[in-house]
Amino acid sequence: MIITKETNIFEKVSKEEVHKKLVEIFGKENVSNRSVDLYPYSYDMTECPPSMPDFVVIPENKEQLVELVKFCNQNVIPIVPYISGNNVGGLTIPERGGIIVDFGKKMNKILHINENMMYALLEPGVTFGQLKKHLDDNYPQLRYSYPFAPPYASVVGNAILSGMNNLSCKIGSMGDSINGLEVITVDGEIARIGSCFYGKDEADPDSWWCRYPMPDLMGLFINWQGMTGLITKCAVQLWPKKPIQKIEALAIFDLEDIGELCREMGRTEVVDDIAFGSTELIKMCCEIPEPKIFPEESRMMATSVITAHTENEYKAKKEIYLNTIEKFREEGMRIYPMDFGEFVELFNLRLRCYADLPSMVLSLVEYSGLTWFGSYAPSHKIEELAKKVDEIFKKYNVPLFLNMKPMKYSHYCIFRPIIRFNKFKDEERIHKLLNEIVDTCVDFGCIPYKTPAWMTEKMREKINPGWLKLFEKIKKCMDPNGIFNPGRWNT
Amino acid sequence: MVKIDKNLMGKEYLEMAFERCIKCSTCKYGYKTFEPSCPSGEKFLFESFWASGKIRTIRGVLNGDLEWSDDLKDAIFACPTCGACMDACQAPHADYIVDMIEALRELAVKYIGPAQNQEKLIERAIKKFNPYDELNSDNEELKKKYNLPDKAEWVYYIGCTSNYRQQSLRDATLNFLKRANIDFTLIDEHCCTSPMIRTGQISISKEFMNYNVEKIKEASAVKVITSCAGCYRTLKNDFEKFGIVYDFKLYHTVELLKELIEKGKLKFKSNYNKTVTYHDPCHLGRHSGIYEIPRDVYKQIPGINFVEIRRNRNHTWCCGAGGGVKIGYPDWSIEISQERLEEAKETGASIVSSTCPFCRTNLSDANEKFNMGFEILDLIEIIDQLEYDVEI
Repeated sequence: MIITKETNIFEKVSKEEVHKKLVEIFGKENVSNRSVDLYPYSYDMTECPPSMPDFVVIPENKEQLVELVKFCNQNVIPIVPYISGNNVGGLTIPERGGIIVDFGKKMNKILHINENMMYALLEPGVTFGQLKKHLDDNYPQLRYSYPFAPPYASVVGNAILSGMNNLSCKIGSMGDSINGLEVITVDGEIARIGSCFYGKDEADPDSWWCRYPMPDLMGLFINWQGMTGLITKCAVQLWPKKPIQKIEALAIFDLEDIGELCREMGRTEVVDDIAFGSTELIKMCCEIPEPKIFPEESRMMATSVITAHTENEYKAKKEIYLNTIEKFREEGMRIYPMDFGEFVELFNLRLRCYADLPSMVLSLVEYSGLTWFGSYAPSHKIEELAKKVDEIFKKYNVPLFLNMKPMKYSHYCIFRPIIRFNKFKDEERIHKLLNEIVDTCVDFGCIPYKTPAWMTEKMREKINPGWLKLFEKIKKCMDPNGIFNPGRWNT
Repeated sequence: MVKIDKNLMGKEYLEMAFERCIKCSTCKYGYKTFEPSCPSGEKFLFESFWASGKIRTIRGVLNGDLEWSDDLKDAIFACPTCGACMDACQAPHADYIVDMIEALRELAVKYIGPAQNQEKLIERAIKKFNPYDELNSDNEELKKKYNLPDKAEWVYYIGCTSNYRQQSLRDATLNFLKRANIDFTLIDEHCCTSPMIRTGQISISKEFMNYNVEKIKEASAVKVITSCAGCYRTLKNDFEKFGIVYDFKLYHTVELLKELIEKGKLKFKSNYNKTVTYHDPCHLGRHSGIYEIPRDVYKQIPGINFVEIRRNRNHTWCCGAGGGVKIGYPDWSIEISQERLEEAKETGASIVSSTCPFCRTNLSDANEKFNMGFEILDLIEIIDQLEYDVEI
């Protein structure tokens, strides 16, 4: 039975009065307190414990949300933002009950595309698939950077939680690609952050072109998991879509080589993105059921994306890429370039979808649960990390689904062990496994993103007290009554 | 793990709800088209109305998180079970999503009953063997009119919608079969029980299915043809689930038409100088995998300007009649068809054609209610207007 943690909500106002107010703000058909409607919002794909909301509302505009925030702040009622619930971190589970604000259904408009300055102004509910279609149909010269996530995950959600993308090697975290935000703060004020900050009224849609050089207030909202306010608009950078895009594949036989290889390949500055996947992960992507690794098999595969405006540019980039591989081979590294096209034809044609993101990784959705330790990692330690994590997976007899990539030409790395599981049979065991992974990786200095509360609890034990005090002070200042997504980061 | 009543028809699908679905939202939109595809979710918006939400409802009612009450009815029954979610979902349970929804409905009927008015479907069928409350036709008059024998190689299984609501479609089919010199007859039909299966009211299904199979046997038929996509899907897919085995070969009218054209036995002698677009019935398309056969037939009609609606084939926006929605949520049902007809307007077609009497009914209702100005016709009705030579 799903139980909401006891809180003092509805002490100041009855549930009936709240319902009445919500209907007044959003209209009857956009408010529900029926258990059947609330239930799907009570849990997600992860091991995070479920908790029921008291209401779900579907907003249409920011004016409604201003009214909601004022009302909730006055009556100390939690507000939990929700788009598609695909964050793999329990971030939209209403731990203290309250009101789910489902942005995904009506606040999902692409408001503006600026071709010259290459950005898109979006409402929070816009999905990767929607943006991709819009760009392909109307701005074929532009592209967004897509993660290895379901096509119907939120663009804004991924950006404000510093998610990954398929230009990561070049541009780094998605959080860096935000040009501007429109937010509602706890007092119901609307603030515009970024170059759109001029003007008293609505911003000119062409004014969302940059984040700097004013004091960077965006940091008050990015990675805060909805704890400091509601985001109602977000401008994200777009990039030129080059006519040539090819994928290169590389088989890697020894786990200890991946660190050097990952760092060096990033530094070549010729790949847009390079993803290292354990062989079990690659087999899973090929839809091989219950993938295992056999003796003498390669341990990892790397897929690199090289894009170019001309054939000559592509050839030059490919030459640098191959020279780097050759240099390592001469030094004795057991790595072998492969033709990605042949690999796909040999194993599974559906792998081509992964070259055309956003796309679903079909086998990832095979069970009823999915979880991970998605983290930013110090790139000089990842070979050691990979070996330790491999040992933990072996101990639990779970196939090693490990995904890594260098970010911003190897300034840092992404390190992501992923686990599929059956929520109703295997959750406890998987939680134990994940616990061990968290302990190990945090000891190595990894910082998880889209972090569930049970993980942040562990992290808090290791974070310096000054940071924690500053964090708490900011949270208190931004949300004195603790109404914005309470429970996240153990607030 | 929760215990599920082993007497439930849909037991295995209810179990599946616990083993599958991470709520990735892929079921919500056309795969790779990124277009809206789910009438239920698009209308009611809350997560409970999308396929993944319904799978969660299964979990909730079975593990005790959700208590049975009338509050659950809309989330369970307000869905035409069109299968767009099935087509969009890429997980291994994709093909069984509608089975899961129907299993949930079977369970719901046990505890809270069906949605408003849906109970009439089964009450009427018990009394009159059809869900329309019409006096049962034993089809003897039609047999006399068309001079049909008692025993024949083929049985034309008319289906309740064609027999009681869309008789021009029925008559066009009869005319065609007669002109083609097909050795066929009619039986005293019981409803195929599609409307009951779709709404979780399955108590009479097995009996009715057995009855129909027995009647077909009595007629000595080895082939059964139907002009109804719903009957076709039920005979093709559901009979087996209920353990009903038959040895006749099943045809939808379009399959026979295609076969005759391919063999050169059907030759059109006049032109049909109109712009026609095709609405894929969910029962025939997503549930039976037939997309190209009707198109192949339309394209063989001389003079026809055949155009496609933007969302077509597996991406088709449902007409809104199925899954008990037409009787349970009549206003919304027609709204769904209205959206389909608005989309059809973009094609410039004057005729919206389909191969299902139930789609024809709902599209016609929306056409009339919203003054859309189309002519709604079944493919066989178009052919009935033509001159042609046909012989088996």
